[in-house]
Amino acid sequence: MNVLLTGAASGLGAALLRACIARGDSVCVIDIDARPPNLPDTVTWLQHDLSDTDPALWDRIADAIAQQDPFDLTVLCAGISATGPFETISAHAHQQVSRINLHAPMRLCLILQQRGALAQGGRLVFVASLSCFTGYPGAASYGASKDGLAAFARSLRRPMRRAGVAVQLLCPGPMDTPHATRYAPKGARADRRIAPQTVAQMVLDAPRARFVLVPGAGAKLAALLGRLAPAMMTRIMGRVLFAKLKDQPR
Amino acid sequence: MWIRGVMTGSGKICLLTGASHGLGLALAQELVARGYQVLGTGRRPHAELPADFPDCAYLPVDLTQADAAPRIAAWCARQVAGPLPLAILNAGAGRYRPLSDETAAEMAEVLQINFDANVQLAQALHPKLQGGTLGLIGSVAHKGAAGMPVYAASKGALDGFGRALAEEWRGTVRVRVLHPGPVATGMSERAGRPRDMIDSLFLSPRAVAMTLLDRLNSTRGPDRQVVSFAQVGGHMLWRKLAGGAGR
Repeated sequence: MNVLLTGAASGLGAALLRACIARGDSVCVIDIDARPPNLPDTVTWLQHDLSDTDPALWDRIADAIAQQDPFDLTVLCAGISATGPFETISAHAHQQVSRINLHAPMRLCLILQQRGALAQGGRLVFVASLSCFTGYPGAASYGASKDGLAAFARSLRRPMRRAGVAVQLLCPGPMDTPHATRYAPKGARADRRIAPQTVAQMVLDAPRARFVLVPGAGAKLAALLGRLAPAMMTRIMGRVLFAKLKDQPR
Repeated sequence: MWIRGVMTGSGKICLLTGASHGLGLALAQELVARGYQVLGTGRRPHAELPADFPDCAYLPVDLTQADAAPRIAAWCARQVAGPLPLAILNAGAGRYRPLSDETAAEMAEVLQINFDANVQLAQALHPKLQGGTLGLIGSVAHKGAAGMPVYAASKGALDGFGRALAEEWRGTVRVRVLHPGPVATGMSERAGRPRDMIDSLFLSPRAVAMTLLDRLNSTRGPDRQVVSFAQVGGHMLWRKLAGGAGR
């Protein structure tokens, strides 16, 4: 199987990369970090900063993608966050969140589609967040970027299906990853978060017909409550999460 | 009232982006009719403003430029001495076309105008908006639209942004995300959708503008609201009945 992953140097992307290598896939990775040592030859590593807007760099990535066989599975994991009261976060940080989490995956989709790089019968997975169901006060630009991605995925679902590609939206809650640890309020317990390996396996095993993927019972419950009472869930997120983020020194 | 070119006092002041055309123009006209001092911005230069553009201050500014938000905030500070009671971030762009027909540059531009610029403006206007209202104009397409994926993504992002910001700023700045549509502004036609019977069913910009302003001025109602056929129709009927009862 031919797999494309972004953000595979850490977190969910790294867990997916390990699982794909273990089952013998060839994997193409796009990541800001350099290729780590000891990866097998079945891994192609393209080092690229997804927040860079230089068209020449993107053309290079597009050409490199076009040289690969079409991908049976694409998982766009790369993402960053910026937490704290919205107005105290620098405009540059908000812009980076938007570029890496929203602009870049959309641009990659455009490239994948225009270069015919998505295999018939394959899957295209966007990594959004449980915040699509709950709102995310304390990470306004992050929550926005993930909601934008969700709307994009919903829009592409039907046209992509006609081309034989299943579009899926992964909405994980907090994972036990460097990303979550960095952006969680101080004192939050890591052992309650879901392991990235578990989420990675769920993505690999997910049936094609399912659009929204919510891993774990706790996240499923939060998503359900968010669907039933979206405004109430955002208030709770504000009380529980934002109040902590607001008060901690950064 | 005006004192040496600086507005003061009346409390009815509104910054409005995208004021030169479509729904923004209808909003500007309705605001002026209701006695607001309007600070309008738009991409069109002064000379190309439509004949029915209302009598109000206007700053031509292109929201795809990196300095647009600080420029608008600085202009606002020069025009308005005290706090800004109302800002409506309405400017929007989009094309009705599938992903395969997009270009990277135009995709980035739509995201910038509909989403990133509003993040930048919300941040730049935050100090002046204390005690006021920030209205973000989204679209019914924010949940996804197969015919316009990039536009839908930009409005989806704006919705998520407003959702979080409304909670963060509760008690200091009232944030509302209003999702109108479809409005007969010619945007979908300019956006490449062939003109057909459906267009005659689109909502009138004036009725939508009136409904949006009443929703923004109301202290009640959820942070995020859809303003489509049912809401606009109901609202206009209510206005008519209330007007008929001798208001």
